[in-house]
Amino acid sequence: MIDADTRSSMEMIRDSAGAIVTKGDLTRIRRLRYDLPGFDKAVWREICALGWPGLRLSEEKGGVELGTLPYCALAEELGRGLVPEPLIPATLAASLLEGGALEAHLSGERLVLPAWQDSRKALLPDGPLRIRNGAVTTRKLNVIGAAGADDFLVIGTDGVALVAADAPGVTVTPLGTQDGGHVAQVNFDLAPANVVACDPVPALTEAALASAAYLLGVIDASISLTTDYLKTRVQFGKTIGQFQILQHMAVDLKLEAEVARASVEAAAEAWDRDGATTETRAAISRAKARASDAALKVTRDCVQLHGGIGFTDEHDIGLYLRKAMVLASQFGSASAHRALFLDLKPIREVA
Amino acid sequence: MPYDDFRRDDYNALSDTDFRALTRRFLAATYPADMRFPQKRLHWDEAEPWYMTLSAAGWLAPAWPRAHGGMGLAPSKQLIYVEEFERFGAARTPDHGIMLLGPLLITYGSEAQKAHFLPRIIAGEDIWCQGYSEPNSGSDLASLRTEAVLDGEEWVVNGQKIWTTLAGDADWIFCLVRTDKAAKKQEGISFLLIPMDTPGVTTRPIINLERDDEFSEVFFDNVRVPKGNIVGEVNQGWTMAKNLLGFERIFLGSPRQSASALAKLYRLGEHYELFEDREFVNAYNGFRMELEDHHALFERVADKLRRGETLGPEVSFLKLNQTSLYQRITEYGLTIMAEDSALLDPLDGNRDLAMPTQFLNARAATIYGGTTQVQKNILAKAVLDLP
Repeated sequence: MIDADTRSSMEMIRDSAGAIVTKGDLTRIRRLRYDLPGFDKAVWREICALGWPGLRLSEEKGGVELGTLPYCALAEELGRGLVPEPLIPATLAASLLEGGALEAHLSGERLVLPAWQDSRKALLPDGPLRIRNGAVTTRKLNVIGAAGADDFLVIGTDGVALVAADAPGVTVTPLGTQDGGHVAQVNFDLAPANVVACDPVPALTEAALASAAYLLGVIDASISLTTDYLKTRVQFGKTIGQFQILQHMAVDLKLEAEVARASVEAAAEAWDRDGATTETRAAISRAKARASDAALKVTRDCVQLHGGIGFTDEHDIGLYLRKAMVLASQFGSASAHRALFLDLKPIREVA
Repeated sequence: MPYDDFRRDDYNALSDTDFRALTRRFLAATYPADMRFPQKRLHWDEAEPWYMTLSAAGWLAPAWPRAHGGMGLAPSKQLIYVEEFERFGAARTPDHGIMLLGPLLITYGSEAQKAHFLPRIIAGEDIWCQGYSEPNSGSDLASLRTEAVLDGEEWVVNGQKIWTTLAGDADWIFCLVRTDKAAKKQEGISFLLIPMDTPGVTTRPIINLERDDEFSEVFFDNVRVPKGNIVGEVNQGWTMAKNLLGFERIFLGSPRQSASALAKLYRLGEHYELFEDREFVNAYNGFRMELEDHHALFERVADKLRRGETLGPEVSFLKLNQTSLYQRITEYGLTIMAEDSALLDPLDGNRDLAMPTQFLNARAATIYGGTTQVQKNILAKAVLDLP
């Protein structure tokens, strides 16, 4: 059960998101699409001024020790507004940084973005970092927002290494994504690197949960846009929301939203209460799988419910579908998370 | 006294953890082991010993006030009671008197009615059945036509009820009857109590799709009933019946049925050695994850109750989600059985493998308690504010 203090924290942070998210107006978002870096560094600095990338950190590290549920509530508000600034990856990086590097990251002076993925469909790095003579050689996939990074936090199973984006040996190859943003393959060829030992699993797991929460916002905003449309669009002499089949479709979508929300909140609650355990990691995989599938189903059907205008670039509903296409596999697709769930909680004990 | 170990003066004074432990101890000590997880509703002759045990222990009516012989449990503890009984596989008794008629009388009944009927329910002296649906009034219950006409000191009842659970076991029936044919349909309905052995009352069992006889039709042919058998005000029956549907609606969304079907799917997987089959493992895992998600949804709604909030129409989402999952698990179960699913007798004569039975029974889940389609009509208006 979510206690009153936490619920009030969640409310407060939802309100504060209004500083960055302009309700019902995606003009800024549209303008940033299909260009590099796909987000606004000035807005990123505003986000840092609000203290968001460090919210989860201890006070001595410059944070406010915000709980997982309020963090998820913030991610959800960003999803509602399709905010492209890379808060979730930056929060991940913040949790693994220390000292001066952390300070510069939190202030917005140097945006540090994580580079963890070694192979396709993976949810964790494949192995330890290969560091030799203070330099790292590796190739990382799906680095979110790479073209806008000042530094990369290269992540292996045993630790992290900070590498400047413009350091020798670093090559960034951006790939445009369906939402107008980008990910990149980043090659590190004997790039100078300082290594810090740590366990990145909790941070990566939490990023998956935050992505699921972001998707809750995508889902909710889509349903809201769509029910408004059903109540105003007139055909055959009546508002189309009176047609039973459309009512039932809308209810089905609301049900998807409710189940996804319950799954995400239950996982967040358990994560806060018990920390990173097999059970809580499985709950987060469950939440991400659910949110990924739900977001695609909801946004697909919302386009359908809009009829012809749903199939335009001009109408906002399509932006939600394209965002769902990207976030659905960010920090793990539904199928990858279902496979991890199975690994974490085998169906039978092997005799 | 034999059950003193399980009696408390104030169950609500216990912590939830302690009450849960007490409930588990109670069930372990008193419930017959061979009656766990019955496949169908028990008739009175099968259920009577357990009913009497519950009665003797004071555990029969968890939601009734203590003054009327109940446990007086707060909603959070009622949730625990139901959860633990379901987890243990304890059978439901013919409980319409406990679940429906009792609360109705407690809220709307006269002092005489309460004094007479409530103790008899607790003692197992009167078994009640519910007369709501009619052949022409199912989803549109308010259109019901069984009528009661006042003739001197008696109501004269004519009509028919259908889907009456365990009518053959019942001593009394509580009915929604039409008492004003001129009024708007919801405003001409009353609550009437009728003894099943009154001349003119006849019962005919309905064999359901699973060839069980838990339902009956009940016919009323000039049945004469004392004037005082009306509960509350005449023509106020619809309002009262609606108010009766309290937070108990949450139980229509309990994960129990899906959990039972999934357990059966597991046993089938073992039987057919399918845990080496990737497709089966993925499908089973998918259902398992869905069930956990449903559990999260259920707990979210239950938490509202625990915080003392009233449940809104969104509780219907629970039923929609659970019944869909339940049916899909049983449908998948049939596919993995292949041609074995066509056979009448359970595999190996083992009722724990009887997926076709569960598949058939699951068809009713999206129909009773408000069909899925009617629920969606209501949700569209009540939750999404659609016209």
